[in-house]
Amino acid sequence: MTSRAVFLVLLFLLFAAATLSFPAPPVFDRYHSPAEIESFLKNLARGQAQVTEIVPIAVSAGGKPLSLLYIGPEAGKPRKRLPAVLVAANLEGTAPLASEAALFLARLILKKPECRRDKGWYVLALGNPDAAANFFARPLLADARNERPHNDDMDDREDEDGPEDLDGNGIITAMRVKDPEGEWVSLEGEPRLMKKAEAAKGEKGVYKLYSEGLDNDNDGRINEDGRGGVNVGINFPHLFRFFSAEGGRWAGSESASLGLMRFVTLHPEIAMTVTFGASNFCLVPPKGGRKGEADFSKIKIPQQIGAFMGVDTDKTYTMDEIMEIARGVAPPGFEFSESMVAGFLGLGQAVNPLPEDLKYFKVLSDQYKEFLKKGKLDAPRLETPDARDGSFELWSYYHLGVPAFSMDFWTLPEVKKEEKAAPGITPEQLEAMSNEEFVALGEEKITALLKSSGAPEDFKAAMVIDALKGGMMDTKKMAEMMRRMPKPKDSSGGDENERAMLAFSDKELGGRGFIPWKAFRHPTLGEVEIGGFVPFAENTPPAAMIENLLQGQVPWVLELADKLPRLRIAKVTSEALGGGVFRLKAWVENAGYLPFPTAMGDRNKRPAPAVITLEGGELAMIDGLKRTALKEIGGGQTRRLDWIIRGHGGQKVRMALAHRSGWDDGKTIILGESK
Amino acid sequence: MKRSSAFILIALLGALALPGPVQAGTALRVPLSFDYYYTYEMVVEAMRLLHRAYPRLTHLDLVGNSEEGRPVYCLTVNNPQTGAELDKPGIYVDGNIHGNEIQAAEVALYLLDSLLGSYGRNEEITRLVDSRCFYVVPVVNADGRHHFFADANTPSDNRGLRVPRDDDRDGLVDEDFPDDLDGDGNICQMRKRDPFGKYKSDPDDPRLMVRVKPGEKGEWTLLGDEGLDNDGDGRVNEDAEGYLDGNRNWGFDWMPDYVENGAGDYPFSGAITAALAAFIEKRPNICMGWTFHNSGGMYLRGPSQKAQGEYPRQDVAVYDYLGRQAERITPGYRYMISWKELYPTYGDSMEWLVMTQGAYGFVGELFQQKSERFASRQESAAGGPGATETAEGEGFDFRPDRSLDKERIRFNDHLAQGELFKPWREFDHPHYGRIEIGGWVKMSSRLPAPFMLKDLVHRNASAVIFSAKNTPEVELEVFEIKALGDGLTRVRTRLANARAIPSMSYQAQKSKLHPKDTLTLDGAGLRVIAGGEIEDIHLHKVAYKEHRPELQFLVVPGFGKVEHEFLVAGSGELTVSYRSRHAGKRSRTLTLK
Repeated sequence: MTSRAVFLVLLFLLFAAATLSFPAPPVFDRYHSPAEIESFLKNLARGQAQVTEIVPIAVSAGGKPLSLLYIGPEAGKPRKRLPAVLVAANLEGTAPLASEAALFLARLILKKPECRRDKGWYVLALGNPDAAANFFARPLLADARNERPHNDDMDDREDEDGPEDLDGNGIITAMRVKDPEGEWVSLEGEPRLMKKAEAAKGEKGVYKLYSEGLDNDNDGRINEDGRGGVNVGINFPHLFRFFSAEGGRWAGSESASLGLMRFVTLHPEIAMTVTFGASNFCLVPPKGGRKGEADFSKIKIPQQIGAFMGVDTDKTYTMDEIMEIARGVAPPGFEFSESMVAGFLGLGQAVNPLPEDLKYFKVLSDQYKEFLKKGKLDAPRLETPDARDGSFELWSYYHLGVPAFSMDFWTLPEVKKEEKAAPGITPEQLEAMSNEEFVALGEEKITALLKSSGAPEDFKAAMVIDALKGGMMDTKKMAEMMRRMPKPKDSSGGDENERAMLAFSDKELGGRGFIPWKAFRHPTLGEVEIGGFVPFAENTPPAAMIENLLQGQVPWVLELADKLPRLRIAKVTSEALGGGVFRLKAWVENAGYLPFPTAMGDRNKRPAPAVITLEGGELAMIDGLKRTALKEIGGGQTRRLDWIIRGHGGQKVRMALAHRSGWDDGKTIILGESK
Repeated sequence: MKRSSAFILIALLGALALPGPVQAGTALRVPLSFDYYYTYEMVVEAMRLLHRAYPRLTHLDLVGNSEEGRPVYCLTVNNPQTGAELDKPGIYVDGNIHGNEIQAAEVALYLLDSLLGSYGRNEEITRLVDSRCFYVVPVVNADGRHHFFADANTPSDNRGLRVPRDDDRDGLVDEDFPDDLDGDGNICQMRKRDPFGKYKSDPDDPRLMVRVKPGEKGEWTLLGDEGLDNDGDGRVNEDAEGYLDGNRNWGFDWMPDYVENGAGDYPFSGAITAALAAFIEKRPNICMGWTFHNSGGMYLRGPSQKAQGEYPRQDVAVYDYLGRQAERITPGYRYMISWKELYPTYGDSMEWLVMTQGAYGFVGELFQQKSERFASRQESAAGGPGATETAEGEGFDFRPDRSLDKERIRFNDHLAQGELFKPWREFDHPHYGRIEIGGWVKMSSRLPAPFMLKDLVHRNASAVIFSAKNTPEVELEVFEIKALGDGLTRVRTRLANARAIPSMSYQAQKSKLHPKDTLTLDGAGLRVIAGGEIEDIHLHKVAYKEHRPELQFLVVPGFGKVEHEFLVAGSGELTVSYRSRHAGKRSRTLTLK
């Protein structure tokens, strides 16, 4: 960060002082520190105490509180009956804008009673306060780790060698030093940027690169064991990575992540989560194409288990077939579930979004893009990163089995290329085309497209055309491939993100996003140059942009919340069959847009089921149960349930629908009368 | 006397002394007795008594409280006069994380009782207690053990922690337990006479049943565990306690419930699993762990999943050494790799101990049904009465080894005086009509009859003791001090480990779980010019460390040594200090001239 950034910091410090004496409505023209976020939420809550509630869920490793703000009609009630949306922001602590978005959302919800009339909101504005404090501290350093001490270099001390602001500009940047073993060179045409020398091209490395600092513990390494810790944002169980540098010892090893998981588990009314951070499921559906998925329609049974089940271990079986076989060999009365069998066979977890769910993500992504146009926020910008393994958004989707969205709000604007690739087809456009339409583009255009999307050289247009015609390939598969293709490097070998950052810094920040390399005499390295990108310049726009960015994007969350599944008993009939026997029929409708549960929720059996119960006088069930769990119901779909009961004409039967993460409903039927 | 006849004699003597169930409130005494099972309350009382009897060698710590508020305790055995706990190799032992697997706690109690009771009387044990620290948690699943004794159960009920779950997904939790219809304190089996049934009475013993052959007339339909359809959903006993499996809820390689049944909502969602993990983490000296279960007669080691890949070969060598010896200590038990030879698990406690804490760990699966012998010499030679196949395995809990049943039911008749098997009796069942209830009772099938308990606990505690003796025992020696002129001295040190377990596991080294051991040279007026590990003393190959040569990071291998060389400038007193997470601290002071 530059003097402008420093100025902003000073400015907000003044503001912070000011807010102490004037509890004025907060304004989104600056970033709020962890302490300010805490008081912001408290102020909001104080202002509208009847609809708000502050819920502490954890204390961070560094001793900072983590609090949720509940907003909704059930404030203060320990057990909430209405569905709720959980918004969790800035779990990595390196996305100040995400916290601002959460505050903005909280204020918006309070301003608009209609969006909380029949549902609640839980807003966690800051999930990693330890790391978030870095943005407000000097020297400025982007580091997602919390304050749990950690011995990064496995020596005899913890957190003993962090960076130092050697040039005294209040910012930790980089150091480059000429070294015979250097691997880096300046970029041709843009000497501020660096790239790795490519030996095959005859290039020879000039520089070694370090982060700004000293070898504090005299072990020959610089900044190898800075303060902290664990990145709370990747400390959740789905695809948690063990033995990583910042992930923590296991999922939920940190009070913040554990506290959040515990809270969500204790609150089954949470029907949807929205994560504010780096990924954006609203724009780009969760990533697929991961290997290691168990296909429940083709299961191989290991030898030692196959032997006692009496099956052919060379064959594959469907889960249903295996359940049938297992019931045959198990002692009577032994209760089986698919999960038990799947666990026993070591089938593992789902690692790709289920196709049924992806359909919703895709439609909503198209709608979101239209929504962005209204706020004029649809200009091309750098792609948002995929959700990280171990992230909260992945945990929400895969383990909670609720609709899970994420938003990032800003990445650097894309640098306009002088020469746009010939057809300029995005994966989305490609997907929308039929095979024939694509082939009709002709070989030349397809060649250009392949080149611009980084396809290997021997991947020729003619081959693609043949494959499309022969049915081995279709435009959907191609679009998926295109999405996964690494971004082609420009001819100079530079990094596209760095170029975009530099362009933004030069054009929009007056150069303050990049510190020019400047000579410095380093105590152990000798003559070095200090400079490089200012931390946070990449993902944190100038404060003046905040309000506009949030106004154009955050309200989408309200739209998402309107799409929650909404089950109701649309119609019931009662038909006298004679002899005091009646047939009841109920049509249960999902009047919302999203299904209940999601396909993933149906797979993992985590969401509490929606249940229909019959009550009233002496009811003898002939067919069907007094208590029936509903099967999955898609948005706008209706499912019929039938019962045959004995009663008497005119008898009142109460039919109740209980949906723990939705709305309850009920109808009274008088036997013998259709209603 | 031949072994088998000796066995029968012992068995008969045991049977004569067959005690009735000991009631809570019975006065317990140290040394403890191991001819009956302790209720949860008695286990706690026994731990208090041990602590009271050996106050200087033990302390009793609260690990945490169960879901139902029962305290879970650890009894630590350490002699403070020979050093602080954390300066000695730590051996961790727990049992009964599965509430029904009760004899695991008796193994732990027996271990405590014999370590403490033999201290000062037996040289080996005295030396062991003086040089090691034991952390023993006899009952992890306190609620499970309590309910196993207090409630009517099958041998397999009350395994999990008391975290309610909606097993049948009807919106209600834990609403359809089995029911003790005949009020005998057991959940047995129900059967109904049915000519179309798949079973008939065994012609050799009508209490047992065999499957009918194709075309043969059936006699019985089996209706499963004793119980009712309590919630009127057309299913019987489908939503009992939990289910959260305390041994699938740990943080390493945890998978959600739909992948691993009983995993819980997130890692360490159980009150006691979370508390126990925190307790263990505060004791970084733990380098050897045992967790006892039943049954099958197995000493299991990880990996728990094939996908993890095999442990480093040096660790496998340690496991093989300890595991094979354990097989000898408890004949009939098998040393096995859990994913490969039993079944794969996610989120189990031992793998967590190995993969996040850097300890070595075994799971002991106590008791084999085939040890319930009732056979003459000739019958034994033929494999036992009615034996059709050899009874290898018992690996899978839901594959009862029916080939053993004929011998076991005679064992029940003549050695347990009928206490293990409930004869079938008629019962009027509200759903099924006239049925019969009977079969193996809760204190059978997975537990040794009390007269056999002492043999089981002694052998398994001995397996623990053998592994405890093999925790690292490192000696520091300065084996050369040589003046090289110009005030320069060559100092050579040797760290030698007399035991099998290295000072840091190779898995821990691979995953960088914790720092290696350190060897530090320190002395006023002295400067270490160069230093490093000696790779070949004869050819003088030394891996000199470039920075801070006075501080070396190292691991002392099992049954091995590591040597260092230092070039030290100056004269005066030099202190050589060794510090290890698992092997304690050592130091030597010498004077350089």
